[in-house]
Amino acid sequence: MIEIKGLAKAFAISKGNKLSDTEKQDVRYSDKAFHSVRDVSFTCGEGEVLGLLGPNGAGKTTTLRMLSTALKQDSGSVFINGIDVLQKPVQARKEIGFLSADTGLYGKLTAFENIAYFARLHGMKELAIKERIDQLFTMLDMHNFANRRVDTMSTGMKQKTAIARAVVHNPKVVILDEPTTGLDIMTVQTVLDFIMSLKAQGTPVIFSTHHLDEVGALCDKVVVIDKGLSSFSGTLEQFKQLAPHGDLRQAFLAVIANQPLQGVA
Amino acid sequence: MWQVYFKELTELLRDKKTLIFVILLPILIFPVLFGIVGLVMATTTNKAMEEQHRYVIINEQQAPEFAEALFYHKNFKKIETTLTSEDDLVAAIRNKEFDVALVIPTDFASRKAAVQQTEWQLIYNRSSQLDFMYNYFDEMLATYQEQLQRNTLSQLGVDPANLTAILKPVKLSKVNTAEQRENIGESMGAILAYALVLLCLSGAMYPAVDMGAGEKERGTLETLLICPVSRTAIVLGKFLTVLTTALMTALITVVSLGVWGAIISAFADLSKVSEALASITILDLVLMFSLLLPTAAIFAALLLAISIYARTFKEAQNYMSPLTILVIVPLMIAMAPGMELDVTTALIPLTNIALAIKELLKGTADYGLLALIFASTTALAAALIAFCVHWFQQEKVLFR
Repeated sequence: MIEIKGLAKAFAISKGNKLSDTEKQDVRYSDKAFHSVRDVSFTCGEGEVLGLLGPNGAGKTTTLRMLSTALKQDSGSVFINGIDVLQKPVQARKEIGFLSADTGLYGKLTAFENIAYFARLHGMKELAIKERIDQLFTMLDMHNFANRRVDTMSTGMKQKTAIARAVVHNPKVVILDEPTTGLDIMTVQTVLDFIMSLKAQGTPVIFSTHHLDEVGALCDKVVVIDKGLSSFSGTLEQFKQLAPHGDLRQAFLAVIANQPLQGVA
Repeated sequence: MWQVYFKELTELLRDKKTLIFVILLPILIFPVLFGIVGLVMATTTNKAMEEQHRYVIINEQQAPEFAEALFYHKNFKKIETTLTSEDDLVAAIRNKEFDVALVIPTDFASRKAAVQQTEWQLIYNRSSQLDFMYNYFDEMLATYQEQLQRNTLSQLGVDPANLTAILKPVKLSKVNTAEQRENIGESMGAILAYALVLLCLSGAMYPAVDMGAGEKERGTLETLLICPVSRTAIVLGKFLTVLTTALMTALITVVSLGVWGAIISAFADLSKVSEALASITILDLVLMFSLLLPTAAIFAALLLAISIYARTFKEAQNYMSPLTILVIVPLMIAMAPGMELDVTTALIPLTNIALAIKELLKGTADYGLLALIFASTTALAAALIAFCVHWFQQEKVLFR
């Protein structure tokens, strides 16, 4: 269960930087700071898959970074299974599995070593690590490249390793930042299958994406973030109703077009 | 913290670049470099010593004994000439017709007989660094002059038994109080300290870039940050890795210098050097190492802080080149002649380390000052580590 309320985050602008004309038009820029995320709220319950949509630079990654405790929010709250992320970040991190498209693996370590390293950082015991990794390798069909260095792997192998790394500690929620961007069709399928299996286990999944077909195929809930605001938050059905014939693309464009023009909150 | 440390170490050991910078460079390149420099210097010196200088002598009949001595010297070769004026001789030397011209005045013999001083002219190009020609000439002239003095004094009726005392009333003999190792420590110490400190820096540089900026560039930093480990533990793990490589580089350098030194002295007769090196105790080496430890910590903390700040590998490397120059300056100061270790110099970072290593090699170190240096360097290192930890907590540094 993930609950996010009124999340906001601003980044200070260094004095030397002059804003470009396009940046000046963005309502999120003030004299001193860039208000990347202004007001984002949504919830994601057990077994639900939530798709996070929005144009580039809308604040999706910043939102997910706050959710995953990499960044601290300025205001608002994030609760993961009842744990306040701001108050107890280390405890909250144990509950989270995080994955992005640029896999975040160490090239000079093997698949096994990469996964084991993160398992150890999560405080797992050596014996438990071996058992869990063996289980994951069987699940993802990775045994034949378990001891290969990541540098020499194909994209598909890398993404499988990254998936195994993200869930080695049995996270209670999984966050994916554009997990399919720039991947080939086979690898995308691996990621989608993985999301499906998480859903089957009842693990809540939040993922950001630009691919509406993925949203249509997997998501129970949809959130659209635009200019730092969660301008739509509801079920997939509610989202489809925004456009005639339930076309997702039209629905998305309708949400963006309805965005009221308002100043910095 | 230790998980981070061991993982970073494994990763570094699998990286060819680390192996080159940390192990191969100090083992091979430095002795090779020193060897080449030594060889080049030895051959040029030899060549300069054996070179034959073509000379002309004007009015040689005025001093036939000297002309004869010059003629039979193996480093001089006589050239006949008809030139006599100074300008013509200078022009001829510039045209490389010969190398040196000696002009004896036409009245030398008569002035000599009248016991009057005469001026001789030696014309040659003095720009060469290795001026062996003049040394040879000066030696011959000294012998010739002494002979003349003896003849003149004898003619004036001085007792030949007293001649030596009259010509050289005082004979000076020098007794050196410095131990052999003090001499060698003075000449070698500064260079060794320079090499050790710089190698500490270069050994720390590549791993530091890889672990901060490299991790950012590969996108692994974010994953690492959301692990349930405190950021302090992560940064300390990385710091210890950089420190280890820096010290390894320094250690390997010392060992390789020792081994190469032994090999070289086995071939060449450098017994004095080996005797001096043998008098350096284990305590001296331990002290040297304990001074290098906080120095390496300073470098590790600084480089890591820079590397964490940089967005990419390239950016980090750009920031580090001026740092190298900043490190070289205090080391150069320590190498300047006349720099001694005292309470003031003991408080200049890096200069104090270099001076202390020199003193330790010489065997004349003041343990109070060493303690002061150790304390001040450790304090600086601690401050920089604290800064590095604080730096690693900053969002504006991690997500630029």
